[in-house]
Order: sequence, then C-alpha cells, then structure tokens
Amino acid sequence: MNLFQSHRKNILFVSCFFILLLLNHVAFADDFEQVRKNAAQIKTIQADFIQTKSMKILNKPLISEGRFYYAAPDSFRWEYLKPLKSIVINHKGQTKRYIYSGGKMVEDESGGAQGMKIILGEITSWMSGKFDQNPSFKATLKEGTYTQITLMPVGQNMNGMLQKVIITISKKDAAVKSVNIIESETSSTIIDFKNTQTNKNIPETIFQDIE
Amino acid sequence: MKIALLVILAFFLSACQTLPVITQATSPEKNVSVCPNPFLKQKTTLIHAIEVHMSSGIKSAVIGITEADPATRAISCAIMTAEGMVLFEAIETDGFLDIRRAMPPFDSAHFARNMIEDIKLIFFEPRGKIEQIGFLPSGETACRWRTGNSDTVDVLKTSSGLPEVKRYSGSGKVKRYIKFSGLTGGFYQSIELQAQELASYTLFMNLVEARPAEN
Repeated sequence: MNLFQSHRKNILFVSCFFILLLLNHVAFADDFEQVRKNAAQIKTIQADFIQTKSMKILNKPLISEGRFYYAAPDSFRWEYLKPLKSIVINHKGQTKRYIYSGGKMVEDESGGAQGMKIILGEITSWMSGKFDQNPSFKATLKEGTYTQITLMPVGQNMNGMLQKVIITISKKDAAVKSVNIIESETSSTIIDFKNTQTNKNIPETIFQDIE
Repeated sequence: MKIALLVILAFFLSACQTLPVITQATSPEKNVSVCPNPFLKQKTTLIHAIEVHMSSGIKSAVIGITEADPATRAISCAIMTAEGMVLFEAIETDGFLDIRRAMPPFDSAHFARNMIEDIKLIFFEPRGKIEQIGFLPSGETACRWRTGNSDTVDVLKTSSGLPEVKRYSGSGKVKRYIKFSGLTGGFYQSIELQAQELASYTLFMNLVEARPAEN
C-alpha cells in the first residue's frame, strides 16, 4: 500500500459526495431505470455545501464549507473553502487536485490526481444514474416520507473505511437534502446542500482556473 | 586514499556536532528566572489545517485533530483529508500506543510513534529536569532539558518574544525545530515544525479551533 492507493480510496470516498447532486432530478423515481432516465436530463449542477464531521475525538462536530460544480458529461469542480482550502477539478480527461500552500493554490503532486483518473469511471457511472450498476456499491432505493437511496460498499475495497452512504431527498422540491456517510459507529460525515441550481450555464473557466 | 579518509573524517566530525553553549547573564538581575512556556496548560482539543512539505518537494495538506492533556500526557489524535476521510487515528495513554486507524502512508508504527512524539514536543513541557538556564550566543533566552532518552530539548524565547523549541539528538544534531507565532486567546495560531530525518519534512500548522476541556 502506498500514498497513491490511499488517495485512490480517498477519491472513492469523495466520489460518494457526487451522487447526491446528481439526484436532484431523480427524487420521484420508482426504480433505478427511472433514475437513469432522469439523470440524463442533467446538463449542469452548482451548489454550496456544508460538511459536518463527527468523530469521537471531537466533542463538537467540525464544520467545513465549499462549492460544487458539474457539467455533463464529465467536468466537475469540488472545492472546499474552509477550514482547509482544496480543489479537485476534472475537465477534458484531466484530473487535478490543488491545495492551499504558501498563500496560493498549488497542485497536490502526492498522487491524488492519479487516483482520480482511476476512479473517474465510477463517477461517470453515477453521473449517468447507474447507481445499481456500480460494482463497488450495492444500491437500494426506498420510498417513504423521503426518498432514500442507500449505498453499501461491496468487496474489500472500502473495508474498515466506509459502512454505508444514505442519501435523503425531499419529495416536496425534489432536492437532495443530505448525504450521510457512515464510516463507523463513532464517525460520520453529513453533507447538506443548499442553493442548488441545475441546468444553468457554468463558464468553462470554472473547470480551468483554480483561483 | 587520503581523500577518502578526509571525507570519512569530515562525515564523522559533522555527525558529532556540539550543543550551543548556554551562558548566564553578567549581572544576576538579568538572569532568566522563568523559562519560556508555549505549552498547553490544560486538557485541550485542537484542530489545525496542516500543510506538509516533504524534502522531496511534494506538498500536501490535511486536517489534524489533537486532544492533549498536559496533566496526564495522554494524547488522542487524528489526521483526515479535507473531504473528511480519516487517514489516521491513535491514542497514547501511559506510554501505550493504540492505533485505531492507519491508512497508507500513515500505517507504519514508526510513523505513529514519531507523530506522537512530535505532538508531545509541541504541546507538552519536556520531561526530565532543567539542566541549564541562560542565554544562547545568538541572544535567545534558553532553558535546556535533558530528557530520559539522551536527547536534549531547548525551549527558547527569541528577541522578538516568540517561543521556539529545539530537540537535539545525543550527538548534538537538531532533530526538531518548532516555531510558535500569533498568540491569541492563549493559543498559538501558527506552528511550524521542521523535522530532520532520512525523509525530512516541515509542517505548517494553522489553528482552526481550540477547545479547552470543560471541568
């Protein structure tokens, strides 16, 4: 195992986050076939997010904030604004990760971007609404007061790192309200999205410029 | 042959560095009565945004979470990515290290031990006894601890009033050099740790949050 493999797992972990935004148009789906049809209508997504990290060591959760952009078929920018600035950008087949260092954003050359390339196939699969066709996760869809999609990792890849991902979607406005990434009994990451906009024009520079 | 001998001699001479001399002030009233103390005073949970600069030129960034109790010298710590993935989590109590999670490249016992020692050096007053108090030739106020493992720790106060910590190996080589700055609300906002190892590294730690334990 090395840094590259660690980043690969991290990117797989990050990839879970992308799912929820792609579900904005799939809230009323009765099955995954409908999910795929609805996902095909999404051309762009942009949203703010608040990430709440809970761990046993933290007597109060750690709050992170950021911004997300997606443009079909496979461009995205996943940006944390605080407390730790970082950006992952995928555009035209190139995936790069940037960190804040010495007062500016610099490329993270520790192997993360290479891991991104490997996992890109999985992200693209989710972007196509193929939640039930990803071999890394078993997906179940449940209708109730809210629409809930649960992803359970399959195989050894996420062993000890991720128990499940629960995505909760409001039926009222078809928007994803939260994603709960449960790593263990004492550790979880909740992502709340707000100001979500779909199919609104996003300048290409968003996927090119880091500042 | 002579050149080879000279190279070997130079190597050994450089390896056997001597500690900087600490001298007393010329007048008693100018002598150091209180050692610099940038260390934690009570059990605290700290969150830092950490830039990691490796000697190879690779840069990375993580979030570090530390719960440190100076009374018991117990440490709980975690390293996670901006995305919230926990890469490393460990607890050390009474010298017993319990590694709860360790993803590569943080999965060696050597890494865990070094990390805990770095955390202790940053946040806890050195163990052992104060051997010398005075001034370095460069003017810093200095208190020198001799720790149990033959290492020496100097806790310094620079002319600008900022504390520093240097840990020397038994041969007098600087192994760790820590600089504190930006004291606000009892906590230093920036801490820089330079580590001299086979793979040297520098950590730039910026305080995100400090939460003293509630009594």
